[in-house]
This record gives sequence, structure tokens and C-alpha cells, in this order.
Amino acid sequence: MGNQMIKKANAFEILNHWLLAGSFLILTLSGFGFLFHLQQVVAIFGSANTMKIWHNYAGIVFSISLFLTIFNYLPVSLKFGSDDMGWIMKAGGYFAKKAAIPPQDVINAGQKLYYLFILFAGIAIAASGFFIWLRPQVDDIRKWILLSHLVHNIAFDLFMIAVPLHIYLGTLANPGTFRIMVYGTVPLEWAKKRHAKWVQKMGY
Amino acid sequence: MARKALLISPELCIGCRGCQTACKAWNQLPATKTANKGSAENPPDLTPNLYNKIRYVEMPSETNTVRWLFVSQRCMHCDDAGCIKICPAPGALFKTKEGATAFNKDNCIGCKLCVAACPFNVPRYDEKEKISKCNLCSDRIADGLAPACAKTCPTGAIRYGDRDEIIGKTQKAGYQKLYGQMDLGGLGVLYAFKDSPKIYGMDEHPQIPETVVFWHKVLKPLAYLGLGGAVAASLLHYIAIGPKKDEEVK
Ligand code: HEM
Ligand code: HEM
Ligand code: SF4
Ligand code: SF4
Ligand code: SF4
Repeated sequence: MGNQMIKKANAFEILNHWLLAGSFLILTLSGFGFLFHLQQVVAIFGSANTMKIWHNYAGIVFSISLFLTIFNYLPVSLKFGSDDMGWIMKAGGYFAKKAAIPPQDVINAGQKLYYLFILFAGIAIAASGFFIWLRPQVDDIRKWILLSHLVHNIAFDLFMIAVPLHIYLGTLANPGTFRIMVYGTVPLEWAKKRHAKWVQKMGY
Repeated sequence: MARKALLISPELCIGCRGCQTACKAWNQLPATKTANKGSAENPPDLTPNLYNKIRYVEMPSETNTVRWLFVSQRCMHCDDAGCIKICPAPGALFKTKEGATAFNKDNCIGCKLCVAACPFNVPRYDEKEKISKCNLCSDRIADGLAPACAKTCPTGAIRYGDRDEIIGKTQKAGYQKLYGQMDLGGLGVLYAFKDSPKIYGMDEHPQIPETVVFWHKVLKPLAYLGLGGAVAASLLHYIAIGPKKDEEVK
């Protein structure tokens, strides 16, 4: 009984996560290539022109994938209650050993906030990116392009802070978490400690 | 290599537009069909096939029926160039040793960000979505020749030379300050205006858009700092506090 596994993520969720992460990696790499004229990065893509094509089409994949995350994470992320506040007040227990954390949903308060951030910043970077790319016919196009350029880059900076923290939290900081995005399953005992409300709802 | 510049003297210009034709001839740019819109100013705006044009300004005058101002418009070859600053493609826009802002269409990715970042609304793009604008005839000036427009101008309204020499000479001739002398690190096209620049259709204080400056000074470094900081913070946390071992989670 001690090592019974339960399913936390289905195949759709896992596939979509790696589409999101994969396209994001291409976008970030080419983004840095553009920002700092990195010749080594341009060489990976062949030329600046092919790098732009990769960037733009990875942007399409990223946008579709971002849209699909809504079905997995938006409803639960919008449910933000006192247990979530409790998690925030204790900073998730990341700065103290054996902190008593209130029971959490299928994703904890930090993950909810992270998701809402990804959605918000993702929409901003995608909308501004498509605007620069497709240049819709609008009055005062120069102003709108400059605004998009600003938004694209502010969102990029925020991503550069948030995503490394997410990767750390999803791997090294929380042993046992990374397998969710590979196998989709976690040990029941592991889940009981971290996602008690969800485990209860699942009928365990 | 001393920085080169063009000196534009609108009062010497007779509006013959020889410069427009010479530019097209040298840079192999086709003519464009335009419609008569009741002004001799033609074409009405810069195009990917028109690197320079004479702006016709009609002013009321006390001594004549009308006062004509003919102002040569083109890329200003800014020292601090907004187009170069914003361009994400290595080698698409660059400075030549003479100070010209030149371009290489092969490297241009057609994003058109330069169009928005230029204080003078100069860059245009061709049917392949590549940048197109005056390049100060960088191929000619590299060989010590004057740009085609300056070479062809019959009245001396467009002159070409060492930038410092031009400034020195015009100062002796009584011009306190040329338009473009100080702006944007100094423009590569200087104007000997006799009136306020506004009358000639020029921006009094041309500036790179604030958002582009902010991006360049703050957002760009922040991309590296944010990434580095987040990775460093993670490592620090891993070392100082460590992962959540299962037996420690309650
Ligand atoms: C989602 C759809 C996206 C689209 C359509 C898009 C489109 C664009 C476009 C058109 C440019 C200008 C250069 C070029 O034409 O390639 C650009 C630049 C850039 N993009 Fe994106 N992008 C998207 C997403 C992203 C994402 C997710 C990131 C990174 C997290 C990113 C980072 C950057 C960076 C750093 C630059 C260079 C900044 C600059 O020079 O302004 N983009 N993008
Ligand atoms: C290689 C890098 C990455 C790793 C190792 C990783 C790992 C993980 C893991 C293990 C989870 C499951 C957490 C759980 O269900 O408790 C997860 C969830 C998630 N990941 Fe990633 N991820 C990576 C990159 C990314 C990127 C680049 C993005 C978006 C730009 C992203 C967005 C998300 C979102 C929105 C979730 C669901 C909500 C959440 O758990 O906070 N991930 N990731
Ligand atoms: S006038 Fe515009 S295109 Fe020419 S150098 Fe200045 S910013 Fe660039
Ligand atoms: S259109 Fe070409 S020259 Fe202009 S900013 Fe984009 S890559 Fe650079
Ligand atoms: S300097 Fe050369 S490219 Fe520029 S307007 Fe004159 S002739 Fe045309």
C-alpha cells in the first residue's frame, strides 16, 4: 500500500507542457540572439532570417499551447481561498524546515500564482509579438509598434525571472515533482502531504 | 577617417529635383508613377525607391506673392541612430567609417522595427519587406567620391564634405548653429536654416523614442540580470536551505 501511485497529470497535460516549454526555449534562445546580436546563437539557426522564422512559428506553437493550458489550470487557479493565503504567509515553507502548510489543491498557491502569471505575461508577449510580426493596418502604426516592442520586452524580462525559478521548483527543490511531467503519476503518500485537498476530493 | 556630412541650404535650392533623379540613377531605383495632386512636390513621400526628396513649403511673404522653401529630406545619418539601436538583426544596419548609416538587405529580417524607432520617419521597406533608405552613397564615399545628389546639385544647395570643416565654414559665414549639429550625437545631414526649423517642416528637438531608450538602457540588461539573478537565487536556496526532503514535509 505504501507505494500506491495516483495520477496527477494526464497525457494531454504532459504533452502540452512540453510543447509550451519547448517552444519557449526556442523563443528565448532566438530572443536573446536578437536582443544582443549573438552570432553563436544566429549560427545555430543558420541565419538571422531563419532565426526570425523559427521565432515567429515557435510563437504560434507557444500561443496555441498557452491557450490549451487554460483547460488544465485556470479554473483551479482562480479559486484562491484562505488555505492559499496560508501558503503565501508561510512562503510555501521554502524558508523554514517543517513549516505547517494548510492543505492545498491539485496545485498549490504558489503554482496558482505562477500559472496566472504565465497566462497574463504569455498573452502580453504573444499579442505584442503578433502585432510586430503582422503589422495590422492601424492609424499611428509607429506608436503601436513601439508599445508592442516595450510590452514584448517587459514580458520577456519577467519570464526570465519566473521560469528559472519554476524549473528549480519543479526539479531540484522538490524531489518527486519532475516525474509528474514525465509519467503523470505520484506516490499517494507524497500527494497527501502536498495536495491534501485534491487527494481528499479524489476519494482517497 | 573624419566624419563626413551633407550640408543642406534650402535658400539655395531651386526645386529642380536633380538630386532625386541622380539618386535613382546611381542607386538603380525605378521611377514611380504618381498622380498630380496640385503641387510640384512629387512624389508626395519617401518610398523604398525614393531615398531623397525635396519638400515644397509655401509660406506667406511680405515682399513676394509667396515664399518658397525647398527642403531636401532623407536619412539624417544620426550619430546616435534609433534605427540601429532597435534593429534585432546583426549586420542589417551599421555605421560606415565615414559616419553613414548603411544597410545590408541580406541581413535584414524585415521586422520593420527601425521604421518605428527613427526620429525622422525615414526607413521604408521594399516588396521583399527589406529596409530601403538613403545610405549616403556609402559605395561612392568609400571611394572618395561625393554622393550622387550632392554631385549633381547645380546650385550648391546640397554640399558634401568633412563634417567639422562644414561646421567651421558655416560658422564663419554667420551661422551660429546648424540644424543637426548637436542633436542625436550630431546628424550627418546639416541644415543651414535661416528661420526656425519648424517652418522648414523639421522637428525642433528630434529624439529617439523614450521607449526605445528605456528598452536599451534598462530592459535589455535586465534580461541577463533577471535570468542570472533567478538562477543564482535558486542555487543559493539549494545550498543554504536545501530541497524539501519528503520526511520534512508536513
Ligand atoms: C508568442 C508569440 C510571439 C511572437 C509572434 C513573437 C514575435 C516577435 C517578433 C516579430 C519580434 C521582432 C523580431 C522578429 O521579427 O523576429 C520578436 C522579438 C523578440 N521576441 Fe518574440 N514573439 C513571440 C513570443 C516570444 C516569447 C515567448 C519570447 C520569450 C520568452 C520572446 C522573446 C523575444 C525577444 C527577446 C525578442 C527580441 C527583442 C527585440 O529586439 O525587441 N518572444 N518577437
Ligand atoms: C525544462 C524546464 C521545465 C521543467 C523541468 C518544468 C517542470 C514542471 C513540472 C514538474 C510541473 C508539474 C508541477 C505539478 O504538477 O505539481 C510543471 C508545471 C507547469 N509548468 Fe513547467 N517546467 C519547465 C518549463 C516550463 C516553461 C518554460 C513554462 C512556461 C513558460 C512552464 C509552465 C508550466 C505551467 C503553467 C505548469 C502548471 C502550473 C504549475 O505547476 O505551476 N514550464 N512544470
Ligand atoms: S534618420 Fe532615421 S534611418 Fe537615418 S540614421 Fe537616423 S534613425 Fe536611422
Ligand atoms: S526591418 Fe531590417 S533593418 Fe529594420 S530593424 Fe528590422 S531587421 Fe533591422
Ligand atoms: S546620398 Fe546618395 S543615396 Fe542618399 S539621397 Fe543622396 S544620392 Fe541618394
